[in-house]
Amino acid sequence: MSTLTVARPTGVRLRDVRKTFHRRRRAGRPALDGVSLDVAPGEFLCLLGPSGCGKSTLLNILAGFVPADSGEVVVGDRPVTGPGHDRGVLFQTPMLFPWLTTWQNVLYGPKARGALTPEVRAEAEALLATVGLADARDAYPHELSGGMRHRAAFARVLINRPGVLLMDEPFGALDAITRAAMQRFLLDLWQQRRTTIVFVTHDVEEAALLGDRVCVLSAPPGGTKDVLTVDLPRPRSYDDTETLAFVQAKRRIREVLEG
Amino acid sequence: MRDVRRIGTGAAALGLALAVWELAALAIGDSVTLPTVTETVHTLAKYLTHTYPEVQGKTLVEDALISTGRIVAGFVLGTAAGLVLGAAMAGIRIVRELADPLIGVLRPLPPIAFIPLLVVWFGIGETSKIALIFFGVLPIVTIATLGALDAVPDGLLHASRSLGASPLRTMVHVRLRAAVPGVITGMRIAMGGAWTSIIAAEMIAATGGVGFLILQAGNYLQTPLIFAGIAWIAVLGLLFDGLLRLLLRFADPTVRR
Repeated sequence: MSTLTVARPTGVRLRDVRKTFHRRRRAGRPALDGVSLDVAPGEFLCLLGPSGCGKSTLLNILAGFVPADSGEVVVGDRPVTGPGHDRGVLFQTPMLFPWLTTWQNVLYGPKARGALTPEVRAEAEALLATVGLADARDAYPHELSGGMRHRAAFARVLINRPGVLLMDEPFGALDAITRAAMQRFLLDLWQQRRTTIVFVTHDVEEAALLGDRVCVLSAPPGGTKDVLTVDLPRPRSYDDTETLAFVQAKRRIREVLEG
Repeated sequence: MRDVRRIGTGAAALGLALAVWELAALAIGDSVTLPTVTETVHTLAKYLTHTYPEVQGKTLVEDALISTGRIVAGFVLGTAAGLVLGAAMAGIRIVRELADPLIGVLRPLPPIAFIPLLVVWFGIGETSKIALIFFGVLPIVTIATLGALDAVPDGLLHASRSLGASPLRTMVHVRLRAAVPGVITGMRIAMGGAWTSIIAAEMIAATGGVGFLILQAGNYLQTPLIFAGIAWIAVLGLLFDGLLRLLLRFADPTVRR
């Protein structure tokens, strides 16, 4: 990992962000009702809330896939106007391009931007080794297991050296064992890289295990209910889930969620 | 190993069918009703180089080339038009709203119903045959293209954009690319229909082609030649489908095994 240059993490700033969906769903259904939030550079923030509270919408606004109706959305020092490779997005499913090999998937971003240099190729090699896919370099996505696909998606995003990672329930569709392995993988990765991460989840335990802070969104229309600090020591590991401090942190989060 | 076994099983099934045919033909003992396999093969081989009818006729190879030429011309034009129309429908709302009912009406119609009309319009030359294939292929490829483009998950497009690709690059390298396997599958279906149409058209109004040959052979009770013509169609059909399957394998890694 030391051979890789790590991007400077960037902060995220949301001020009174509102979003209402008009089409298809019921007329004028507000999804976000004035969300304000700051994420410090290098911080791991979990967005937690019930289904339909707009946490995915918030992430899509940060990613630049949908515009906010009003409010301020700033990543780093630039307002978000559209998608960009400064923000790495990991989806609920890995969304690898099925016609490209692992290697071609990882190099998609640099190639699309005309930034494919020998250094980038070397970095891609190192990244594949980091995510444990050095042997699966020439495999197509359908030949990989669920966890491997997610790790390939990580490599594909990290090659762009994003200042912030936006993750939308990325492990929600995995089985419990693979999911635990991916959480462990993410903790290690973050421990080494310290990228800013905004992580959407509806799982209290996941939020407590991963996050520095947990932002609890209220039932629709979503607004920030409370932001809790999870003061468990770092580096964390899966064993921490059995400690009393962890159980207490979980209870605090659940009380806010249900209160 | 599994491939070898699969091919072996397939060959055995074909061999068995030929054996049943041969036995049935020997039992019936009348080559006008059912010629033997050997007689059919001999006829097929003979008319590869001999013309039928002997005066002003064509060889099987010439007839096959005539039919193939018509298919390829109509298929290429129909596929190209279907791709453009399907893509336009997927991308432009008003085009979709205009073309949807037209395609909806056109699709369930059997193309061979248009043969008399096309003959009235274009005569019995090549134009009417190519137009028939064109109008048979067009709706199928249009719908396949539209369906394949609609089915591309938004997530793939979002992934591409957030990895730094421009909207244009995302359109070409992700949306269109992701639709290719679906389009090829549509082309395979259209190709099957094209053979049905062309043989029917050649039986109704033509002076050459495999369909014309089969009709002539039937009129003179040349059953071995009918079978030879049918075998030719089977070979050509398999060949074209094989080419499209090869294309699909090339475009879609998930079908490679």
